Amino acid sequence: MSDVTGKAEKNTVPGTLESRDITKTFGGKAAVDRVTLSLEKGHVYAMLGPNGSGKTTWMKMAAGLIKPTSGLILFESQPVSIESRKKVAYMSTEPYFYSWMSVSDVGLYYQDFFEDFSYDRYTVLLKKMELEETMKTTSLSSGMMAKLKIAVTMARDAAVYMLDEPFNGIDLLARDEIRTAILEYATPDKLLLLSSHLVEEMEAIADRAVFLHHGRLVESVSLEEMREERGLSMADRYRQIYGHGEE
Amino acid sequence: MKHGMSKLLKYEFRKTQASKLILLGLTAVAQLVFLGGLFFRRENAMVTGALVLSFLGVGGILFIGLQSVLTLHRDMNTKQSYMLFMTPNSCYRILGAKVLENGLSILLVGVFFFALGLLDITLLLSSYGELSQLWTFLTDLLHQLNEDIQLNAQNFAAMMFGLIGSWFATVMMAYLADVVSSALLGGRKYNGLLSFALFLALSILLGFLQNLLPGMSPERIILYFMLRAITSIAFSVLIYFISAKIMERYLSV
Repeated sequence: MSDVTGKAEKNTVPGTLESRDITKTFGGKAAVDRVTLSLEKGHVYAMLGPNGSGKTTWMKMAAGLIKPTSGLILFESQPVSIESRKKVAYMSTEPYFYSWMSVSDVGLYYQDFFEDFSYDRYTVLLKKMELEETMKTTSLSSGMMAKLKIAVTMARDAAVYMLDEPFNGIDLLARDEIRTAILEYATPDKLLLLSSHLVEEMEAIADRAVFLHHGRLVESVSLEEMREERGLSMADRYRQIYGHGEE
Repeated sequence: MKHGMSKLLKYEFRKTQASKLILLGLTAVAQLVFLGGLFFRRENAMVTGALVLSFLGVGGILFIGLQSVLTLHRDMNTKQSYMLFMTPNSCYRILGAKVLENGLSILLVGVFFFALGLLDITLLLSSYGELSQLWTFLTDLLHQLNEDIQLNAQNFAAMMFGLIGSWFATVMMAYLADVVSSALLGGRKYNGLLSFALFLALSILLGFLQNLLPGMSPERIILYFMLRAITSIAFSVLIYFISAKIMERYLSV
């Protein structure tokens, strides 16, 4: 866990994403409450917690979409900025494409704005996800929309991928496709952060877990260590924290 | 990205493309009705065409401004905001593209309808000799009342630029009110009322500043309108920087 100095450092640490004492309030209520968290490249993190635990707000702050009320959020030791958006790929849980767009327009839009976007890679992913370039985004089912969001996000060669609820509204077979697409990017030079309610699904992908509760960080832990030292799976720990025997 | 601004501008034009095509299509139909009436001496058709064209000219410019404000509102307050704000572009660029698109659209539509109006008046006067005599009578009469008053294209053009400048400044004031509403007052009580009050206050301020300029007189019609256009644009530039600064510091989407 990093030192809480309230200042960014001059030296950058490649591929790291961290928050220092970060708080975001909405109407006086803290959605994220003094969270200090450090995520490193080479890991797949599962960000877990029930609705309202602060997962989406934390991710949006890391993507630069939401301004923190206080604290710092850093990418490679520098505050998130326009520069960090070039290397951080964020996928929102809600559909966000313009209504006039076709599947092909979505790819062209990303190609126009992100230097790390590959249209060829996008085409390959679309084929895997059984999506046609001519389809209108407004005509897509929720499952197809989820697959399109994954395809366009993973067609970037980013340093960090943050996927908010990537399995929402997706059937079992499509989940397999998405899991495969995500795991292709789980390399030592990349950081993947995924949030989901599907704990078992996440256990098969992630090697670390971040538990949030009521906007606060409960713990950020290695799954292997948790299994070896405490004899707990991700699901066990989830039940401990959010179940009736809540900490 | 080097060409970030041009890409943003391209997508801003794309967002308003459909309504502009509809405006163009309706204008083409109204123009055909007017020309048909003119050539086949069907005065009803001619008058209808001219009225619809006048309505489309004024209404079109007003609509483009209003649509621009609505687009900005959607781009800050709905999920489609991610499309803009997750790209590596500053709020200065994002808002700048919107301002440019809107300014250019209003100007181009204004110039287009002004040119079309001049063309149609010329055709009308050449087809109807008696109207040409009436026009000469009117200009002579005005000239006799005050020899500095002239009904000519330059004066009309100056008036058009003055009005377009004022409308552009009004749209920019609505931008700032919307930015304040979304970035600073979001979720607060009386948000809408306060941002509308800000819009009114800015309008009054601009009106007050423009009243300090020389008033209109027959010999200074062009100067009068051009000064108003220039002050409106200068005010708009100031508002743009304030709006972008607020967005950059406070806007969460």
